Amino acid sequence: MAVAESEFPLVSRRRRRLSGRRVASALAPYALLAPAAAIIGAVLGYPLYLLVRLSFEKYGLFELVRHHGTWVGLGNYRKIFHDSQFWHVVLRTVVFTAVNVTLTMVLGTAIALLIARLGRFMRLLLTTALVLVWATPVVVAVNIWRWMVDYEFGVANWTLTKLHFGNFVHHDWFASSLSGFGVITAVIVWGAIPFVAITVYAGLSQVPQELIEAAQIDGARAWNVFREVTLPLLKPIFIILASLSIIWDFQVFNQVWIMLGERPSPDYYLMSIYAFVESFRINEYGLGSAIAVVMVAMMMVATLVYIRQMVKTGEVR
Amino acid sequence: MAAIQLVHVSKEYGGGALAVNDLNLEIAEGEFVVLVGPSGCGKTTALRMVAGLEEITDGEIRIGDRVVNDLAPRDRDIAMVFQNYALYPHKTVYENLVFGLRMRKVPKEERRRRVEEIARILGLEDMLQRRPAQLSGGQRQRVAMGRAIVREPQAFLMDEPLSNLDAKLRVQMRAEIARIQQTLAVTTLYVTHDQVEAMTMGHRVAVMRGGVLQQVDTPQRLYDSPGNLFVASFVGSPAMNLLEVVLERDGGTLVCRVGDTDLELPADTVGRRPALERFVGRHIAVGIRPEALSEAGEDPDAPRLRGRVLLVEALGAESLAHVEVTGTPLDRPELVDVAASQTHLLPVGERTATLLARLEHDTGVRPGHIVDLAVDTRRLHFFDLESGVAIAAAAAPVTAAAVG
Amino acid sequence: MSSVAPIAPVPVAPTTARPAAVARRRLRRGHVARRVGINLLGLAVFTVMIFPVYWMVATAFKPGRNIQDYKPHWFPAPATLSNFTNAVHRPYFWTDVKNSLIIVSFVVVLSLTVAFLAALALSRFRFYGRTAFIFLILGTLMVPLAALIIPLYITLSRVHLINTLTGVIAMYMTFVLPFSVWTLQGFMRGVPRELEEAAMVDGSTRFGAFVRILLPLVAPGLVATSIFAFIQAWNEFIIAYVFLHDGSKQTITVWLASFTNLHGTDWGPLMAGATLTALPVVVFFVLIQRRIAFGLTAGAVRG
Repeated sequence: MAVAESEFPLVSRRRRRLSGRRVASALAPYALLAPAAAIIGAVLGYPLYLLVRLSFEKYGLFELVRHHGTWVGLGNYRKIFHDSQFWHVVLRTVVFTAVNVTLTMVLGTAIALLIARLGRFMRLLLTTALVLVWATPVVVAVNIWRWMVDYEFGVANWTLTKLHFGNFVHHDWFASSLSGFGVITAVIVWGAIPFVAITVYAGLSQVPQELIEAAQIDGARAWNVFREVTLPLLKPIFIILASLSIIWDFQVFNQVWIMLGERPSPDYYLMSIYAFVESFRINEYGLGSAIAVVMVAMMMVATLVYIRQMVKTGEVR
Repeated sequence: MAAIQLVHVSKEYGGGALAVNDLNLEIAEGEFVVLVGPSGCGKTTALRMVAGLEEITDGEIRIGDRVVNDLAPRDRDIAMVFQNYALYPHKTVYENLVFGLRMRKVPKEERRRRVEEIARILGLEDMLQRRPAQLSGGQRQRVAMGRAIVREPQAFLMDEPLSNLDAKLRVQMRAEIARIQQTLAVTTLYVTHDQVEAMTMGHRVAVMRGGVLQQVDTPQRLYDSPGNLFVASFVGSPAMNLLEVVLERDGGTLVCRVGDTDLELPADTVGRRPALERFVGRHIAVGIRPEALSEAGEDPDAPRLRGRVLLVEALGAESLAHVEVTGTPLDRPELVDVAASQTHLLPVGERTATLLARLEHDTGVRPGHIVDLAVDTRRLHFFDLESGVAIAAAAAPVTAAAVG
Repeated sequence: MSSVAPIAPVPVAPTTARPAAVARRRLRRGHVARRVGINLLGLAVFTVMIFPVYWMVATAFKPGRNIQDYKPHWFPAPATLSNFTNAVHRPYFWTDVKNSLIIVSFVVVLSLTVAFLAALALSRFRFYGRTAFIFLILGTLMVPLAALIIPLYITLSRVHLINTLTGVIAMYMTFVLPFSVWTLQGFMRGVPRELEEAAMVDGSTRFGAFVRILLPLVAPGLVATSIFAFIQAWNEFIIAYVFLHDGSKQTITVWLASFTNLHGTDWGPLMAGATLTALPVVVFFVLIQRRIAFGLTAGAVRG
């Protein structure tokens, strides 16, 4: 806003700066922010600090009762880094995340492209379906899929057998962790696609029609238009979606836990489950914390990418 | 290089609304035709149909000798310059220019040669590595043109490419585009809403309104012999003065009764318009261009209109006087270009009209003066009041031969 | 009814007299085939995506014998409400619904009030630490809930808030608050500052302008954010699961887990229970999904 040069002498301007109103105005944002900051500090900040501290302590049942842990320095970390199971879990989590994120992004984008080309009625229908899927709570979704792949009466088993993909009657999907994770991946990707599809679709409609037309006139086929014009313009959205997906899929806990009836075998351990089990089943809260800290560290890269992209696109000012 | 033909082309949107209504237009090889009209007249729709960006409801469009109705834009071998330039924001200027060549699999060496040559012609050599966001409006416009030129297409299509530039830049770019087109001699169809642009740039100008082609002709002929009231009011700035008059016979001559004044029509004017006879005793519309009005001299017999000066606009090279006269202004908004008639000061009244007159730059006329305006009756235009069609001179041709 | 008569058209005699009608027909046919194909594909994708949801609802209405059948019954005919009655009569159903409602109400009201104030600060003021706070908010995504459970459990056990609704409400702030702050400040940024400035020139105080001008204008945003907070709190599982031990204190998401026991799973009532659990969320979600601008990729939480 343009401010006309004041004609008042400099002295009176300086004096105004220290008035009570100005001080109150300067403090206002901090006052407004205080409650939120306090709560976040208490419920997130302190536990986070505690998490890190716990990772350096031995904290078993005894310590739980005493409300006090014993300092062991890097002992916990040494233990888990030397544990081959830990590395298996890490690898499993990384592969799991990669598969889920890739499937989600590819399928979600494909569906977004499809939505863009549908007739109005079909588009409404499909978007409604996506919203319904998006709205379904995880607990509910997991149970639905458990039911669909049920050993005895699962409809998926029946259908696959009918389509001659093999004999799936009385097939226990969770006997092997590979097929078990297949089902879990299906649940996660199914639930995650709507968010990606709808967001990418919104992004697609922001691509200026003129650019597409210019590319078409310049001789580009549909695929070329997508690759040369649409994709580069959607890059920021893809980065945001991909980094968010990585962050979420890396943390997956509920789906595995509920799907396996709260008793996952070690073959199913992802890092979050591993940390949880170490703490609450085996009562080694220190070890569990160490695992959790490693998780957070690993996700930091994706988080930084996400934040950086949000800043670049002007979401953060 | 190819001719473009639109044959009975129509475009209908849902609900029966016709954006383009039975358009017939031919653009000869190498010709520069401007499609002009107020917004919503269908000019952009017509252009987009030629480009293949809109489906054709009816009719045929031919480029060269091929009917292109079913061809995708990429197969029509045309290039388009968009109003908002449509430059790929994530690509450099070089990549923008070379894109079309890449899509057509032009070999690399040839691509580079063409782009560098175009860049040189358009003065873009220093900007090849920049992105559109770093360029000024004029530079972006040149890149958009370069992208079209480098493809060496059969025809150029331009959709109001200058409307986003400021006034001075627009004047400059107008000349450049015209010059480029002349040098390259590429068939060009150019759309604009600005009649000044249309008149200065085209070999021929096609005036459209409400989806219907009003008249297509060279700029000069559009100006001198407008075919109906709309073209008459649309073309020319400031707009033509339009009055409703009664045509009377007075002895052997015909006269126009403007208010209380009778303007005698010269014999050869009447002679060349035999149709005027049918309108004797009836109301017709008469158009007088501002330059056909001047300060009356000594001759008492010269046709003149007397009025009171409301406003004098000093333009430097000339002055525009707004003069209030007794007479009936034309009140047929559905027949004229409404936007143009806004230049006349007074609201439409029963018995007074405002005339714009082009006077000498050093005229002594001032607001409040009573002034006699000499009317050059050889340059009057006559129109049927019901249909708006001109009561034309018999020898006036409707179309021009294409520029060879 | 145009009284503008066109000039005689440019004499372009159509050379080949291919009737225009034929041209039009050929255009339509090629395009129609492609349209139909795409829409069929859309239908296929629709079916695949919606099927699990459909299957849940269908199963909920099927009688037991049609559920425990090797051959699937695609439609719930005859339909029955017995699964629903079974589910609803299970121990603690209504209690747990009540618990969920209590928790969610407190969480929404508390978080929205606090978030509104914080969002005001972020969107309307410039101050030191603003960027840092924003990064803090965005960074909270990085912290996995499953990891935080550990120190949270330890902390809460120290203050004897395990197995209490209060403790759970406090912990839900962890994820609801940052998201609400971020979403609200996005909405507020969409309201031009000039409106409040005009109010202040007209005599209002700064805070008065916030309440009288800004608040009504972001009301839709407030509603949307509340509903999103509601959904997140209602759907939450792991915290409720770990911290609430008594059946009488648990939430409905934990209750859903009670269907599986040593004897196997009661699929019919489970699907009925699942439908009931999902119902409020689905209803609200459908209401707001149009309102939330999808630029808020910062926080739309999945499950």
